[in-house]
Amino acid sequence: MSTAIDMSLFGGADPIFTIADEVFSAMIDGEPGLLSEWFGEAPAIADPMYAWVDVDGVAPGRVLLSTERETALQITRALLEMGPDEVVGDADFVDALGEVANVVGGNVKALVPDPGALTLPQVTHERPPTSPENLLHELALAWRGRLLVISLWSLP
Amino acid sequence: MTLAPDSFSFVADLVRRRSAIQLEAGKEYLVESRLLPLARAAGTVDIDAYIRTMRASAAPAVLEAVVEALTTNETSWFRDAQPFATLTEHVVPELLAGRLGGGPLRIWSAACSTGQEPYSIAMTLADLVPGGRLKIHATDLNQQVLARARAGRYSQLEVNRGLPVTMLVKHFARIGVDWEVAAPLRAAVTFAQHNLLDVPPMGGPFDVVFLRNVLIYFDLATKRDVLRRVQRVVRPGGYLLLGAAETTIGIDDDWERVTVGRGSVYRLNVRRAA
Amino acid sequence: MRALVIDDSRTMRRIIVGVLRSLGFDTLEAGDGREALDVLESGIPVDLACIDWNMPVMNGLEFVLAVRENRAWRGLTLMMVTTESEHNQIVRALAAGAHEYVIKPFTPDAIRDKLQLLGLVELEESA
Repeated sequence: MSTAIDMSLFGGADPIFTIADEVFSAMIDGEPGLLSEWFGEAPAIADPMYAWVDVDGVAPGRVLLSTERETALQITRALLEMGPDEVVGDADFVDALGEVANVVGGNVKALVPDPGALTLPQVTHERPPTSPENLLHELALAWRGRLLVISLWSLP
Repeated sequence: MTLAPDSFSFVADLVRRRSAIQLEAGKEYLVESRLLPLARAAGTVDIDAYIRTMRASAAPAVLEAVVEALTTNETSWFRDAQPFATLTEHVVPELLAGRLGGGPLRIWSAACSTGQEPYSIAMTLADLVPGGRLKIHATDLNQQVLARARAGRYSQLEVNRGLPVTMLVKHFARIGVDWEVAAPLRAAVTFAQHNLLDVPPMGGPFDVVFLRNVLIYFDLATKRDVLRRVQRVVRPGGYLLLGAAETTIGIDDDWERVTVGRGSVYRLNVRRAA
Repeated sequence: MRALVIDDSRTMRRIIVGVLRSLGFDTLEAGDGREALDVLESGIPVDLACIDWNMPVMNGLEFVLAVRENRAWRGLTLMMVTTESEHNQIVRALAAGAHEYVIKPFTPDAIRDKLQLLGLVELEESA
Protein backbone atom coordinates (compact mmCIF):
# COMPACT_ATOMS: atom_id res chain seq x y z
CA MET A 1 0.00 0.00 0.00
CA SER A 2 2.05 2.83 -1.43
CA THR A 3 0.87 5.71 0.71
CA ALA A 4 -1.26 6.00 3.76
CA ILE A 5 -4.87 6.24 2.79
CA ASP A 6 -5.85 9.90 2.64
CA MET A 7 -8.70 10.01 5.14
CA SER A 8 -9.70 13.49 4.05
CA LEU A 9 -11.13 11.96 0.88
CA PHE A 10 -13.89 10.30 2.82
CA GLY A 11 -15.63 13.32 4.29
CA GLY A 12 -15.17 12.37 7.93
CA ALA A 13 -16.37 8.77 7.66
CA ASP A 14 -13.60 6.26 8.30
CA PRO A 15 -13.59 4.05 5.19
CA ILE A 16 -12.23 1.14 7.21
CA PHE A 17 -15.29 1.38 9.42
CA THR A 18 -17.55 1.47 6.36
CA ILE A 19 -15.88 -1.64 4.97
CA ALA A 20 -16.08 -3.52 8.28
CA ASP A 21 -19.69 -2.42 8.72
CA GLU A 22 -20.63 -3.78 5.29
CA VAL A 23 -18.87 -7.09 5.89
CA PHE A 24 -20.53 -7.60 9.24
CA SER A 25 -24.00 -6.40 8.29
CA ALA A 26 -24.10 -8.31 4.98
CA MET A 27 -22.50 -11.59 5.93
CA ILE A 28 -22.15 -11.99 9.68
CA ASP A 29 -25.09 -10.32 11.34
CA GLY A 30 -27.56 -10.16 8.44
CA GLU A 31 -28.51 -6.66 9.53
CA PRO A 32 -26.73 -3.39 10.23
CA GLY A 33 -26.26 -1.84 13.65
CA LEU A 34 -24.26 -4.43 15.60
CA LEU A 35 -20.88 -2.91 14.82
CA SER A 36 -19.75 0.46 16.11
CA GLU A 37 -16.54 2.26 16.88
CA TRP A 38 -15.11 1.35 20.28
CA PHE A 39 -15.88 4.08 22.77
CA GLY A 40 -12.87 5.18 24.80
CA GLU A 41 -9.56 3.43 25.36
CA ALA A 42 -9.47 -0.09 23.91
CA PRO A 43 -8.35 -2.68 26.48
CA ALA A 44 -5.49 -5.12 25.92
CA ILE A 45 -6.55 -8.43 24.38
CA ALA A 46 -6.08 -11.21 26.92
CA ASP A 47 -6.37 -14.31 24.69
CA PRO A 48 -5.67 -12.98 21.21
CA MET A 49 -6.34 -14.31 17.74
CA TYR A 50 -4.83 -12.61 14.70
CA ALA A 51 -5.93 -12.84 11.09
CA TRP A 52 -4.30 -10.93 8.26
CA VAL A 53 -3.74 -10.57 4.55
CA ASP A 54 -0.90 -8.78 2.85
CA VAL A 55 -1.07 -6.65 -0.26
CA ASP A 56 1.92 -7.22 -2.53
CA GLY A 57 3.37 -4.71 -4.92
CA VAL A 58 5.56 -1.67 -5.05
CA ALA A 59 4.88 -0.73 -1.42
CA PRO A 60 3.47 -3.78 0.36
CA GLY A 61 1.11 -3.54 3.30
CA ARG A 62 -0.83 -5.64 5.77
CA VAL A 63 -4.42 -5.62 6.95
CA LEU A 64 -4.53 -7.15 10.43
CA LEU A 65 -7.54 -8.17 12.49
CA SER A 66 -6.92 -8.64 16.22
CA THR A 67 -9.50 -9.91 18.66
CA GLU A 68 -10.18 -12.19 21.62
CA ARG A 69 -10.32 -15.88 20.77
CA GLU A 70 -13.83 -16.03 22.18
CA THR A 71 -14.95 -13.18 19.92
CA ALA A 72 -13.39 -14.92 16.93
CA LEU A 73 -15.40 -18.03 17.82
CA GLN A 74 -18.60 -15.99 17.96
CA ILE A 75 -17.82 -14.43 14.60
CA THR A 76 -17.31 -17.92 13.17
CA ARG A 77 -20.62 -19.14 14.59
CA ALA A 78 -22.43 -16.13 13.13
CA LEU A 79 -20.75 -16.44 9.74
CA LEU A 80 -21.53 -20.14 9.46
CA GLU A 81 -24.97 -19.77 11.05
CA MET A 82 -24.06 -22.32 13.72
CA GLY A 83 -26.20 -22.92 16.78
CA PRO A 84 -24.84 -22.08 20.23
CA ASP A 85 -24.34 -25.77 21.00
CA GLU A 86 -22.55 -26.70 17.80
CA VAL A 87 -18.84 -27.32 18.20
CA VAL A 88 -16.62 -25.06 16.13
CA GLY A 89 -13.84 -27.17 14.61
CA ASP A 90 -10.36 -25.66 14.42
CA ALA A 91 -10.28 -25.88 10.64
CA ASP A 92 -13.64 -24.09 10.34
CA PHE A 93 -12.49 -21.46 12.80
CA VAL A 94 -9.24 -20.70 11.00
CA ASP A 95 -10.95 -20.66 7.62
CA ALA A 96 -13.79 -18.40 8.75
CA LEU A 97 -11.58 -15.86 10.44
CA GLY A 98 -9.19 -15.91 7.50
CA GLU A 99 -12.07 -15.25 5.15
CA VAL A 100 -13.19 -12.22 7.17
CA ALA A 101 -9.62 -10.88 6.93
CA ASN A 102 -9.66 -11.66 3.21
CA VAL A 103 -12.88 -9.75 2.51
CA VAL A 104 -11.90 -6.77 4.67
CA GLY A 105 -8.40 -6.75 3.18
CA GLY A 106 -9.67 -7.02 -0.38
CA ASN A 107 -11.84 -3.97 0.08
CA VAL A 108 -9.08 -2.00 1.80
CA LYS A 109 -6.82 -2.84 -1.13
CA ALA A 110 -9.26 -1.10 -3.46
CA LEU A 111 -8.78 2.18 -1.59
CA VAL A 112 -5.11 2.61 -2.45
CA PRO A 113 -3.57 3.59 -5.77
CA ASP A 114 -1.86 0.77 -7.70
CA PRO A 115 -2.51 -2.10 -5.30
CA GLY A 116 -0.74 -5.39 -5.89
CA ALA A 117 -2.10 -8.86 -5.32
CA LEU A 118 -3.70 -10.04 -2.11
CA THR A 119 -1.96 -12.92 -0.30
CA LEU A 120 -3.84 -15.83 1.18
CA PRO A 121 -5.01 -15.12 4.72
CA GLN A 122 -3.12 -16.28 7.80
CA VAL A 123 -4.58 -16.94 11.23
CA THR A 124 -2.42 -17.34 14.36
CA HIS A 125 -2.26 -16.93 18.13
CA GLU A 126 1.01 -15.02 17.91
CA ARG A 127 0.94 -11.47 16.73
CA PRO A 128 2.78 -11.11 13.40
CA PRO A 129 5.89 -8.96 13.79
CA THR A 130 5.05 -5.28 13.40
CA SER A 131 6.94 -2.07 14.22
CA PRO A 132 5.06 0.92 15.60
CA GLU A 133 6.58 3.24 12.99
CA ASN A 134 4.91 1.14 10.27
CA LEU A 135 1.39 1.62 11.60
CA LEU A 136 -0.73 3.47 9.01
CA HIS A 137 -4.15 3.34 10.62
CA GLU A 138 -5.84 1.61 13.55
CA LEU A 139 -9.53 1.25 14.24
CA ALA A 140 -10.99 -0.29 17.41
CA LEU A 141 -14.48 -1.64 16.93
CA ALA A 142 -17.21 -3.01 19.15
CA TRP A 143 -19.08 -5.96 17.68
CA ARG A 144 -21.96 -6.91 19.93
CA GLY A 145 -19.96 -5.15 22.62
CA ARG A 146 -16.79 -7.17 21.97
CA LEU A 147 -13.48 -5.66 20.89
CA LEU A 148 -12.19 -6.11 17.35
CA VAL A 149 -9.20 -4.11 16.13
CA ILE A 150 -8.40 -3.55 12.45
CA SER A 151 -4.95 -2.13 11.78
CA LEU A 152 -3.12 -1.25 8.58
CA TRP A 153 0.65 -1.53 8.35
CA SER A 154 3.24 -0.78 5.73
CA LEU A 155 5.65 -3.68 5.28
CA PRO A 156 9.39 -3.11 5.05
CA MET B 1 -41.12 -6.06 22.14
CA THR B 2 -44.72 -5.60 21.07
CA LEU B 3 -46.00 -2.19 20.26
CA ALA B 4 -49.02 -1.02 22.25
CA PRO B 5 -52.11 -0.73 20.00
CA ASP B 6 -52.60 2.96 20.67
CA SER B 7 -48.90 3.65 19.91
CA PHE B 8 -49.31 1.92 16.59
CA SER B 9 -52.54 3.71 15.73
CA PHE B 10 -51.05 7.08 16.64
CA VAL B 11 -48.11 6.49 14.30
CA ALA B 12 -50.30 5.03 11.54
CA ASP B 13 -52.60 8.03 11.79
CA LEU B 14 -49.69 10.48 11.70
CA VAL B 15 -48.16 8.81 8.67
CA ARG B 16 -51.49 8.70 6.85
CA ARG B 17 -52.19 12.37 7.48
CA ARG B 18 -48.74 13.47 6.32
CA SER B 19 -48.25 11.16 3.36
CA ALA B 20 -51.49 9.26 2.72
CA ILE B 21 -49.53 6.05 3.22
CA GLN B 22 -51.60 3.38 5.00
CA LEU B 23 -49.94 1.25 7.66
CA GLU B 24 -52.43 -1.55 8.21
CA ALA B 25 -52.56 -3.92 11.14
CA GLY B 26 -49.74 -6.41 10.80
CA LYS B 27 -47.20 -3.70 10.09
CA GLU B 28 -46.31 -3.24 13.77
CA TYR B 29 -42.93 -4.88 13.16
CA LEU B 30 -42.17 -2.26 10.53
CA VAL B 31 -42.94 0.58 12.91
CA GLU B 32 -40.79 -1.01 15.60
CA SER B 33 -37.79 -1.59 13.37
CA ARG B 34 -37.97 1.78 11.61
CA LEU B 35 -38.39 3.77 14.82
CA LEU B 36 -35.80 1.93 16.88
CA PRO B 37 -32.86 3.98 15.50
CA LEU B 38 -34.74 7.20 16.26
CA ALA B 39 -35.65 5.99 19.74
CA ARG B 40 -32.05 4.98 20.42
CA ALA B 41 -30.88 8.39 19.29
CA ALA B 42 -33.34 9.88 21.77
CA GLY B 43 -31.91 7.72 24.56
CA THR B 44 -34.31 4.82 24.83
CA VAL B 45 -35.00 1.42 23.28
CA ASP B 46 -38.60 1.46 24.46
CA ILE B 47 -40.60 2.35 21.35
CA ASP B 48 -43.84 2.92 23.29
CA ALA B 49 -42.04 5.35 25.57
CA TYR B 50 -40.53 7.10 22.58
CA ILE B 51 -43.93 7.44 20.92
CA ARG B 52 -45.50 8.70 24.18
CA THR B 53 -42.80 11.37 24.42
CA MET B 54 -43.32 12.29 20.80
CA ARG B 55 -47.08 12.65 21.27
CA ALA B 56 -46.63 14.81 24.35
CA SER B 57 -44.06 17.17 22.90
CA ALA B 58 -45.48 17.21 19.36
CA ALA B 59 -42.17 18.73 18.20
CA PRO B 60 -42.51 19.24 14.42
CA ALA B 61 -39.00 18.02 13.65
CA VAL B 62 -39.59 14.80 15.58
CA LEU B 63 -42.91 14.12 13.90
CA GLU B 64 -41.31 14.78 10.51
CA ALA B 65 -38.45 12.38 11.28
CA VAL B 66 -40.90 9.66 12.25
CA VAL B 67 -42.87 10.09 9.03
CA GLU B 68 -39.63 10.01 7.04
CA ALA B 69 -38.43 6.84 8.79
CA LEU B 70 -41.64 5.07 7.86
CA THR B 71 -41.89 6.21 4.26
CA THR B 72 -38.51 5.08 2.90
CA ASN B 73 -38.13 1.81 1.00
CA GLU B 74 -35.27 -0.37 -0.07
CA THR B 75 -34.75 -0.29 -3.80
CA SER B 76 -32.69 -2.23 -6.24
CA TRP B 77 -31.60 -1.34 -9.77
CA PHE B 78 -33.78 -2.28 -12.73
CA ARG B 79 -36.43 -3.48 -10.31
CA ASP B 80 -38.48 -6.30 -11.86
CA ALA B 81 -36.52 -5.97 -15.13
CA GLN B 82 -39.61 -6.08 -17.42
CA PRO B 83 -40.47 -2.35 -17.31
CA PHE B 84 -37.02 -1.41 -18.54
CA ALA B 85 -37.17 -3.91 -21.39
CA THR B 86 -40.64 -2.54 -22.19
CA LEU B 87 -39.18 0.93 -22.35
CA THR B 88 -36.53 0.05 -24.93
CA GLU B 89 -38.50 -2.46 -26.96
CA HIS B 90 -41.93 -0.89 -27.09
CA VAL B 91 -42.59 2.45 -25.45
CA VAL B 92 -39.64 4.61 -26.45
CA PRO B 93 -39.38 3.52 -30.11
CA GLU B 94 -43.09 4.31 -30.50
CA LEU B 95 -42.77 7.70 -28.80
CA LEU B 96 -39.68 8.67 -30.81
CA ALA B 97 -41.30 7.60 -34.09
CA GLY B 98 -44.30 9.80 -33.41
CA ARG B 99 -42.17 12.76 -32.60
CA LEU B 100 -40.59 13.99 -35.84
CA GLY B 101 -37.90 16.30 -34.49
CA GLY B 102 -39.92 17.45 -31.53
CA GLY B 103 -38.57 18.24 -28.10
CA PRO B 104 -36.88 15.92 -25.63
CA LEU B 105 -38.43 12.76 -24.27
CA ARG B 106 -39.67 13.58 -20.77
CA ILE B 107 -39.92 10.88 -18.16
CA TRP B 108 -41.17 11.30 -14.59
CA SER B 109 -39.92 8.90 -11.93
CA ALA B 110 -42.36 9.46 -9.08
CA ALA B 111 -41.33 8.18 -5.62
CA CYS B 112 -37.77 7.79 -6.86
CA SER B 113 -36.33 7.09 -3.40
CA THR B 114 -32.51 6.99 -3.41
CA GLY B 115 -32.37 7.29 -7.18
CA GLN B 116 -31.92 3.74 -8.43
CA GLU B 117 -35.03 3.97 -10.60
CA PRO B 118 -34.30 7.21 -12.50
CA TYR B 119 -30.66 6.25 -13.00
CA SER B 120 -31.76 2.81 -14.21
CA ILE B 121 -34.04 4.53 -16.72
CA ALA B 122 -31.14 6.72 -17.83
CA MET B 123 -28.84 3.71 -18.24
CA THR B 124 -31.49 1.79 -20.15
CA LEU B 125 -31.99 4.63 -22.61
CA ALA B 126 -28.38 5.83 -22.84
CA ASP B 127 -27.84 4.15 -26.19
CA LEU B 128 -31.35 4.57 -27.55
CA VAL B 129 -31.97 8.26 -26.98
CA PRO B 130 -29.26 10.77 -27.87
CA GLY B 131 -27.88 12.83 -25.01
CA GLY B 132 -29.79 16.04 -24.53
CA ARG B 133 -32.97 14.50 -25.94
CA LEU B 134 -33.76 12.75 -22.68
CA LYS B 135 -34.97 14.54 -19.59
CA ILE B 136 -35.77 12.50 -16.51
CA HIS B 137 -37.49 14.26 -13.63
CA ALA B 138 -37.34 12.33 -10.38
CA THR B 139 -39.39 13.18 -7.32
CA ASP B 140 -39.92 11.90 -3.80
CA LEU B 141 -41.56 13.07 -0.61
CA ASN B 142 -38.45 12.39 1.46
CA GLN B 143 -35.62 14.98 1.50
CA GLN B 144 -33.01 12.59 2.83
CA VAL B 145 -33.36 10.07 0.04
CA LEU B 146 -33.40 12.88 -2.52
CA ALA B 147 -30.08 14.15 -1.20
CA ARG B 148 -28.64 10.67 -1.61
CA ALA B 149 -30.11 10.38 -5.09
CA ARG B 150 -28.67 13.72 -6.18
CA ALA B 151 -25.23 12.70 -4.95
CA GLY B 152 -25.46 9.53 -7.06
CA ARG B 153 -23.07 7.71 -4.74
CA TYR B 154 -23.79 4.16 -3.71
CA SER B 155 -22.13 1.62 -1.47
CA GLN B 156 -20.70 -1.67 -2.63
CA LEU B 157 -23.72 -3.45 -1.12
CA GLU B 158 -26.11 -1.18 -3.00
CA VAL B 159 -24.48 -1.68 -6.41
CA ASN B 160 -24.62 -5.46 -5.90
CA ARG B 161 -28.44 -5.25 -6.01
CA GLY B 162 -29.74 -6.02 -9.47
CA LEU B 163 -27.31 -3.85 -11.40
CA PRO B 164 -25.90 -5.69 -14.42
CA VAL B 165 -22.12 -5.60 -14.18
CA THR B 166 -21.84 -4.25 -17.73
CA MET B 167 -23.84 -1.22 -16.57
CA LEU B 168 -21.66 -0.86 -13.50
CA VAL B 169 -18.42 -0.63 -15.45
CA LYS B 170 -19.92 1.61 -18.10
CA HIS B 171 -21.77 4.12 -15.96
CA PHE B 172 -20.05 4.18 -12.57
CA ALA B 173 -16.66 5.16 -11.22
CA ARG B 174 -15.13 3.87 -8.01
CA ILE B 175 -14.75 6.63 -5.43
CA GLY B 176 -13.15 5.36 -2.23
CA VAL B 177 -15.45 2.70 -0.80
CA ASP B 178 -18.35 3.83 -3.00
CA TRP B 179 -19.44 3.85 -6.62
CA GLU B 180 -20.58 7.08 -8.23
CA VAL B 181 -22.84 7.54 -11.21
CA ALA B 182 -20.93 9.09 -14.12
CA ALA B 183 -21.53 12.73 -14.98
CA PRO B 184 -23.35 12.28 -18.32
CA LEU B 185 -25.95 10.09 -16.65
CA ARG B 186 -26.38 12.47 -13.73
CA ALA B 187 -26.87 15.30 -16.19
CA ALA B 188 -29.95 13.55 -17.58
CA VAL B 189 -31.78 13.49 -14.23
CA THR B 190 -33.18 16.31 -12.09
CA PHE B 191 -34.47 15.72 -8.58
CA ALA B 192 -37.14 17.57 -6.61
CA GLN B 193 -39.27 17.04 -3.56
CA HIS B 194 -42.88 16.37 -4.40
CA ASN B 195 -46.00 15.13 -2.68
CA LEU B 196 -48.23 13.06 -4.97
CA LEU B 197 -51.27 14.65 -3.37
CA ASP B 198 -50.15 18.13 -4.35
CA VAL B 199 -50.18 20.05 -7.59
CA PRO B 200 -48.26 18.00 -10.18
CA PRO B 201 -44.56 18.77 -10.54
CA MET B 202 -42.83 20.95 -13.10
CA GLY B 203 -40.89 19.36 -15.93
CA GLY B 204 -43.91 18.09 -17.85
CA PRO B 205 -45.89 17.28 -19.82
CA PHE B 206 -44.41 13.84 -19.57
CA ASP B 207 -44.24 11.08 -22.14
CA VAL B 208 -43.73 8.35 -19.57
CA VAL B 209 -44.43 8.17 -15.85
CA PHE B 210 -42.96 5.56 -13.53
CA LEU B 211 -45.22 5.24 -10.50
CA ARG B 212 -44.09 1.91 -9.20
CA ASN B 213 -44.98 0.35 -5.89
CA VAL B 214 -46.46 3.54 -4.51
CA LEU B 215 -50.20 3.13 -5.06
CA ILE B 216 -50.18 -0.09 -3.02
CA TYR B 217 -49.76 2.00 0.10
CA PHE B 218 -52.87 4.09 -0.57
CA ASP B 219 -56.58 3.42 -0.20
CA LEU B 220 -58.82 3.44 -3.26
CA ALA B 221 -59.93 7.06 -3.00
CA THR B 222 -56.34 8.23 -2.70
CA LYS B 223 -55.24 6.01 -5.60
CA ARG B 224 -57.86 7.74 -7.76
CA ASP B 225 -56.76 11.15 -6.58
CA VAL B 226 -53.10 10.44 -7.32
CA LEU B 227 -53.86 9.05 -10.79
CA ARG B 228 -56.04 12.08 -11.65
CA ARG B 229 -53.20 14.40 -10.73
CA VAL B 230 -50.68 12.32 -12.68
CA GLN B 231 -52.93 12.35 -15.71
CA ARG B 232 -52.86 16.14 -15.84
CA VAL B 233 -49.15 16.12 -16.69
CA VAL B 234 -49.08 13.20 -19.12
CA ARG B 235 -49.33 13.72 -22.87
CA PRO B 236 -52.26 12.02 -24.60
CA GLY B 237 -50.93 8.64 -25.65
CA GLY B 238 -48.28 8.84 -22.96
CA TYR B 239 -47.43 5.84 -20.79
CA LEU B 240 -47.78 4.95 -17.13
CA LEU B 241 -45.67 2.15 -15.66
CA LEU B 242 -46.84 0.67 -12.37
CA GLY B 243 -45.44 -1.98 -10.05
CA ALA B 244 -45.74 -5.65 -10.96
CA ALA B 245 -48.78 -6.19 -8.73
CA GLU B 246 -50.55 -2.93 -9.54
CA THR B 247 -53.17 -1.86 -12.08
CA THR B 248 -55.36 1.10 -13.02
CA ILE B 249 -58.26 -1.25 -13.76
CA GLY B 250 -61.12 -0.50 -11.42
CA ILE B 251 -59.50 2.74 -10.38
CA ASP B 252 -59.28 5.00 -13.42
CA ASP B 253 -60.87 4.37 -16.83
CA ASP B 254 -58.80 6.86 -18.74
CA TRP B 255 -55.89 4.48 -19.09
CA GLU B 256 -55.80 1.67 -21.61
CA ARG B 257 -53.93 -1.46 -20.56
CA VAL B 258 -51.37 -2.66 -23.09
CA THR B 259 -49.84 -6.08 -22.53
CA VAL B 260 -46.12 -6.16 -23.19
CA GLY B 261 -44.18 -9.35 -22.56
CA ARG B 262 -44.99 -10.59 -19.08
CA GLY B 263 -46.31 -7.27 -17.88
CA SER B 264 -48.58 -4.39 -18.70
CA VAL B 265 -48.21 -0.71 -19.31
CA TYR B 266 -50.97 1.87 -19.32
CA ARG B 267 -51.46 4.35 -22.13
CA LEU B 268 -53.39 7.52 -21.54
CA ASN B 269 -56.49 7.36 -23.66
CA VAL B 270 -56.36 10.19 -26.19
CA ARG B 271 -60.14 10.64 -26.17
CA ARG B 272 -60.40 11.19 -22.44
CA ALA B 273 -63.27 13.04 -20.80
CA ALA B 274 -62.53 16.72 -20.16
CA MET C 1 -30.18 -26.49 -12.18
CA ARG C 2 -26.69 -27.29 -10.98
CA ALA C 3 -24.09 -24.84 -9.73
CA LEU C 4 -20.36 -25.26 -9.17
CA VAL C 5 -19.00 -23.12 -6.32
CA ILE C 6 -15.29 -22.42 -6.67
CA ASP C 7 -13.50 -20.76 -3.75
CA ASP C 8 -10.47 -21.72 -1.68
CA SER C 9 -12.32 -20.77 1.51
CA ARG C 10 -14.53 -23.53 2.83
CA THR C 11 -16.45 -20.89 4.77
CA MET C 12 -17.26 -18.91 1.66
CA ARG C 13 -18.24 -22.04 -0.27
CA ARG C 14 -20.57 -23.00 2.53
CA ILE C 15 -22.23 -19.57 2.51
CA ILE C 16 -22.70 -19.49 -1.27
CA VAL C 17 -23.91 -23.11 -1.37
CA GLY C 18 -26.47 -22.20 1.29
CA VAL C 19 -27.83 -19.34 -0.80
CA LEU C 20 -27.91 -21.38 -4.01
CA ARG C 21 -29.62 -24.34 -2.36
CA SER C 22 -32.31 -22.05 -0.99
CA LEU C 23 -32.85 -20.90 -4.58
CA GLY C 24 -33.32 -24.50 -5.71
CA PHE C 25 -29.89 -25.33 -7.11
CA ASP C 26 -28.02 -28.59 -6.73
CA THR C 27 -24.45 -27.74 -5.87
CA LEU C 28 -20.90 -28.98 -6.34
CA GLU C 29 -17.73 -27.47 -4.90
CA ALA C 30 -14.12 -26.97 -5.88
CA GLY C 31 -11.23 -25.35 -3.99
CA ASP C 32 -9.43 -23.91 -7.00
CA GLY C 33 -9.70 -23.50 -10.76
CA ARG C 34 -7.95 -26.77 -11.52
CA GLU C 35 -10.31 -28.80 -9.35
CA ALA C 36 -13.20 -27.00 -10.98
CA LEU C 37 -12.01 -27.90 -14.47
CA ASP C 38 -11.73 -31.52 -13.30
CA VAL C 39 -15.40 -31.41 -12.30
CA LEU C 40 -16.40 -30.01 -15.68
CA GLU C 41 -14.20 -32.48 -17.54
CA SER C 42 -15.88 -35.39 -15.71
CA GLY C 43 -18.95 -34.59 -17.79
CA ILE C 44 -21.39 -33.61 -15.05
CA PRO C 45 -23.67 -30.95 -16.54
CA VAL C 46 -23.24 -27.62 -14.77
CA ASP C 47 -25.35 -24.53 -15.48
CA LEU C 48 -23.67 -21.93 -13.26
CA ALA C 49 -20.18 -21.44 -11.85
CA CYS C 50 -19.64 -19.03 -8.93
CA ILE C 51 -15.97 -18.20 -9.05
CA ASP C 52 -13.61 -16.61 -6.56
CA TRP C 53 -10.66 -14.77 -8.08
CA ASN C 54 -7.72 -15.34 -5.74
CA MET C 55 -7.09 -19.07 -5.36
CA PRO C 56 -3.97 -21.21 -5.38
CA VAL C 57 -3.01 -23.52 -8.30
CA MET C 58 -5.37 -21.85 -10.80
CA ASN C 59 -7.13 -18.58 -10.03
CA GLY C 60 -10.60 -17.53 -11.09
CA LEU C 61 -9.53 -15.45 -14.05
CA GLU C 62 -7.49 -18.35 -15.46
CA PHE C 63 -10.49 -20.64 -14.93
CA VAL C 64 -12.78 -18.27 -16.86
CA LEU C 65 -10.30 -18.10 -19.75
CA ALA C 66 -10.02 -21.91 -19.81
CA VAL C 67 -13.80 -22.37 -19.85
CA ARG C 68 -14.31 -19.87 -22.64
CA GLU C 69 -11.77 -21.65 -24.80
CA ASN C 70 -13.76 -24.87 -24.69
CA ARG C 71 -16.82 -25.11 -26.91
CA ALA C 72 -18.22 -27.93 -24.80
CA TRP C 73 -18.85 -25.48 -21.98
CA ARG C 74 -20.40 -22.73 -24.05
CA GLY C 75 -23.67 -22.85 -22.10
CA LEU C 76 -22.03 -22.44 -18.69
CA THR C 77 -22.86 -19.15 -16.97
CA LEU C 78 -19.80 -17.69 -15.28
CA MET C 79 -20.32 -15.40 -12.28
CA MET C 80 -17.36 -14.02 -10.33
CA VAL C 81 -17.86 -13.75 -6.56
CA THR C 82 -14.80 -11.95 -5.30
CA THR C 83 -13.22 -9.21 -3.23
CA GLU C 84 -11.51 -7.80 -6.32
CA SER C 85 -13.50 -4.60 -6.71
CA GLU C 86 -11.38 -2.18 -8.68
CA HIS C 87 -12.97 -0.98 -11.89
CA ASN C 88 -10.16 -2.32 -14.07
CA GLN C 89 -10.32 -5.75 -12.42
CA ILE C 90 -14.00 -6.04 -13.23
CA VAL C 91 -13.30 -5.03 -16.82
CA ARG C 92 -10.57 -7.71 -17.00
CA ALA C 93 -12.99 -10.38 -15.80
CA LEU C 94 -15.62 -9.35 -18.34
CA ALA C 95 -13.02 -9.28 -21.11
CA ALA C 96 -11.97 -12.81 -20.14
CA GLY C 97 -15.57 -13.92 -20.56
CA ALA C 98 -17.28 -13.70 -17.18
CA HIS C 99 -21.01 -13.00 -17.48
CA GLU C 100 -21.67 -11.44 -14.10
CA TYR C 101 -19.84 -10.21 -11.04
CA VAL C 102 -20.68 -10.07 -7.33
CA ILE C 103 -18.39 -8.11 -5.02
CA LYS C 104 -17.76 -9.49 -1.51
CA PRO C 105 -19.30 -8.80 0.96
CA PHE C 106 -22.66 -9.74 -0.49
CA THR C 107 -26.11 -10.49 0.85
CA PRO C 108 -28.19 -13.49 -0.26
CA ASP C 109 -30.51 -11.02 -2.02
CA ALA C 110 -27.60 -9.78 -4.13
CA ILE C 111 -26.93 -13.30 -5.43
CA ARG C 112 -30.61 -13.83 -6.12
CA ASP C 113 -30.85 -10.49 -7.98
CA LYS C 114 -27.91 -11.39 -10.22
CA LEU C 115 -29.31 -14.84 -10.96
CA GLN C 116 -32.63 -13.25 -11.92
CA LEU C 117 -30.76 -10.94 -14.32
CA LEU C 118 -29.14 -14.03 -15.81
CA GLY C 119 -32.50 -15.78 -16.17
CA LEU C 120 -31.45 -18.61 -13.86
CA VAL C 121 -34.00 -17.78 -11.19
CA GLU C 122 -37.65 -16.89 -11.70
CA LEU C 123 -38.69 -13.32 -10.94
CA GLU C 124 -40.99 -13.00 -7.96
CA GLU C 125 -43.60 -10.33 -7.40
CA SER C 126 -41.88 -7.46 -5.66
CA ALA C 127 -43.42 -5.55 -2.73
